[in-house]
Amino acid sequence: MFYEDVEEGFEFPVLKKEPITRVQLVRFAGASGDFHPLHLVEEVAEKAGMKILAHGMLIMGMLSQGVTSWVSRKNIKKLQVRFSKMTFPGEEIQIVGKVLEKKADNIVVAEVLAKNSEGEVKVAGIFEATLPSRN
Amino acid sequence: MSNVKDLIGLEFEPYSMAVEKGKIKELALALGDDNPIYFDLEAAKKEGYEGIPMPPTFLQVIDLWGGMGSVEKVEKLGLNLVRVLHGQQAYEYLGDIVAGDVLSVTSKVVEAETKTASSGAMDIIVTENQYRNQRDELVALTRNTLLHRH
Repeated sequence: MFYEDVEEGFEFPVLKKEPITRVQLVRFAGASGDFHPLHLVEEVAEKAGMKILAHGMLIMGMLSQGVTSWVSRKNIKKLQVRFSKMTFPGEEIQIVGKVLEKKADNIVVAEVLAKNSEGEVKVAGIFEATLPSRN
Repeated sequence: MSNVKDLIGLEFEPYSMAVEKGKIKELALALGDDNPIYFDLEAAKKEGYEGIPMPPTFLQVIDLWGGMGSVEKVEKLGLNLVRVLHGQQAYEYLGDIVAGDVLSVTSKVVEAETKTASSGAMDIIVTENQYRNQRDELVALTRNTLLHRH
């Protein structure tokens, strides 16, 4: 994707993820090192009046995959998110994004959202990346 | 905790960890991210890297496997684990980080306050981390916001 190809309001192609599984949460716990029991142990979640929920950083990881499917990993300068809603096993996350602003020096500021299939926003973020020029 | 503001300036023990190819692959697989740059050196080189790059959120791996675990960190902050939520996370990438690099991290609490909303009171605690590589280049900055519901 080139700097000249995008305008403010340009929407990036949607990245659709597979439904989140409990096994994936175990796998993510091992990979990341986040063994918070609310993601892994039914009894602890129930005692807290909750259900097993996905790690927020798993959803942010999916959101970053969306960003790196749009712009080269190497060109990402900043990425910041807010975790708005909890995500549970079985939910299907999709990553959508659009350009908010084109700045000087080939810098693009864009919005990126991780939503479930009902459109509920789970993680909302902004990223800043440089895009290469055509010439 | 008497006053959450007392946490401002609290520095965690510095830590250091190598960026391992195996951990990069493990994280990419857990995320279901099949970008070949995380698995194949040639693909990484084509994107301009000298080695396998880390996925954007990989610094969490450095923090949790190289430093204090999330559970221990929450205890050190004096918070109740099941009342803690991850509110926000921000990354700033200042240089490439690839497999084989060794990152040294400093981490401290930069903001801490109690806010009252309609849903009740909560503490907001922001930790800032700085990541330097083996050449002492500052390669990344992060800000982590934890919410602690009362």
